[in-house]
Amino acid sequence: MRRVILAFAGTVTALVMLLGLKANVATPVTSPITVVATGSWPSADTGTPSSGSRNTSPVTVTGDSVSTPYGPVQVKVTVAASKIKSVSTLSYPSSDSQSQQISEYAVPRLTQEAIAAGGANIDMVSGATYTSNGYIQSLQSALDQVG
Amino acid sequence: MSRATPRLILAIIWLGAAAAVGLWWLDTASVQGLADWLTNAGRITGMLAGYAVVVLVALMARIPMLERGVGSDRLARWHAMGGRYAVSLVVAHALLITWGYAVAAHTSVASQASTLFWSYPNMMAATVGMLLLVAVGAVSARAARRRLRYETWYYLHFVTYLAVALAFSHQLSTGAQFMTHPMARIAWGTMYAGVGGLLVWHRIVTPIRQAARHKLRVFEVIDEGADTISVIIGGRHLNELRAEPGQFFRWRFLTSGLWWTANPYSLSAPVRHDRMRITTKGLGDHSRKLRFLQPGTRVVAEGPYGAFTGRRRRQPKVLLIAGGVGITPLRALFGSLPAEHGDLTLLYRVSHPADVIFGEELQAIAEARGARLHIVSGRRTDLGGDPLSEASLEANVPDLRSHDVYVCGPEGMTTSTVAALRRAGVPSRQIHHESFTL
Repeated sequence: MRRVILAFAGTVTALVMLLGLKANVATPVTSPITVVATGSWPSADTGTPSSGSRNTSPVTVTGDSVSTPYGPVQVKVTVAASKIKSVSTLSYPSSDSQSQQISEYAVPRLTQEAIAAGGANIDMVSGATYTSNGYIQSLQSALDQVG
Repeated sequence: MSRATPRLILAIIWLGAAAAVGLWWLDTASVQGLADWLTNAGRITGMLAGYAVVVLVALMARIPMLERGVGSDRLARWHAMGGRYAVSLVVAHALLITWGYAVAAHTSVASQASTLFWSYPNMMAATVGMLLLVAVGAVSARAARRRLRYETWYYLHFVTYLAVALAFSHQLSTGAQFMTHPMARIAWGTMYAGVGGLLVWHRIVTPIRQAARHKLRVFEVIDEGADTISVIIGGRHLNELRAEPGQFFRWRFLTSGLWWTANPYSLSAPVRHDRMRITTKGLGDHSRKLRFLQPGTRVVAEGPYGAFTGRRRRQPKVLLIAGGVGITPLRALFGSLPAEHGDLTLLYRVSHPADVIFGEELQAIAEARGARLHIVSGRRTDLGGDPLSEASLEANVPDLRSHDVYVCGPEGMTTSTVAALRRAGVPSRQIHHESFTL
């Protein structure tokens, strides 16, 4: 029994030490991702359709947060007259510099494709499988809410 | 030399673990917030678990260098202890990763677990692998094992190979440390393939090669009395096996009831070019069946194994202490250890005079070699004390401290005798013992 306690305590101590050493390193500053799209970034509307006009006034919906091995992806989409006006990405993998770079590369392309295609049926960006998957799922869930 | 080798192997194992953690260290820039802490703790435990499993298989791969240097009994103990730790690491890894992802995605742990299981590559297989490992761990716990037949437990334990295979693919496809570093993937895969190859070579290919070369067959079964039997095994070119007195083989007798397992029995006599002898007391399911072996039965022998040999000896004087059936390997050493007249002593302790085996053989060896033979039988109360106590040993073996002492017997006897020898001032490096409990 004593060996079990020692092994457990030793492992926990080692884990805490290792993680603690990494906790003191400053995180890389996450730079904003500019999105080429019709509409502005970040989208400011919180979308209640104004009275009188129906499908032509923009509606903004937030999609599900989709988890990936590198962090969650969540998008907010603004739809007007059955067209995607803009997509803003609320969260994307950025926990380390590599994820950051991949996201900076992939997210603008995904957004461009989504707007061009008018939906979530878009190609994935190669080299950014998880980010693409998360983006597509989150976007689809947002569009599903709009109907 | 053989004292240094267990430490050397342990050092190598620790270095490997450090390298596995190092992969995580190099790949992780920083850890901020609860989600990061949990996920990275999950990654570290995952790397260690994947590494630990490889080490455990390597310990049991019957690699001759390990078997001779570290000793089969110590390898088995390490495997048992390490196995429990490895299963704990696997479970900790799964829980920490799931929890960490859940916090990052602001979902419940349950829904995160479901997402991981259903939509991440190879996660279903990995989960099944984990459950199998936990099941085997539960079944291997002492409390459960007592209720199972050894044969059943033995078969169940092989399920661990399946568990390892199932879990392997998720390591490379979802392991953060491997996804973006091809070198790490190659190294990891090489490690697994390497140990797998060693396993196949030493546990499957070599015994088959040896069986074909040596054509071992049961020659004769002899009743030694006292519920003890000797099996003489005949074959060809047996000196090529280079078995040393004190060593054992794992014997697989190809007949019904015995073919499914290879059990260890020590050689009780030096190997002749065409004959080997093993001797065993009918204490277990397997050994009791040996009595009924038919001459001509084919035998596959894996080995030789064991570090309980004359290689460890440093001093000119040697004391052999045998308890009950522990006389078996010591009988082989008694006949073959080089020693001057008067330098070799065998102390043979049994509970009852009828328990003595090889009595005449031992006498003959003692006379021929000028070695001392003490057979001590009876209960302590009749003898006026414990013949294996510190005082008794010192009194009966002059110059005890400058002897190399080999102890073999039931676990309790071995432990207390070794302790008595230490108290009497015999240095640890001069005490050699082998025991087989898990």
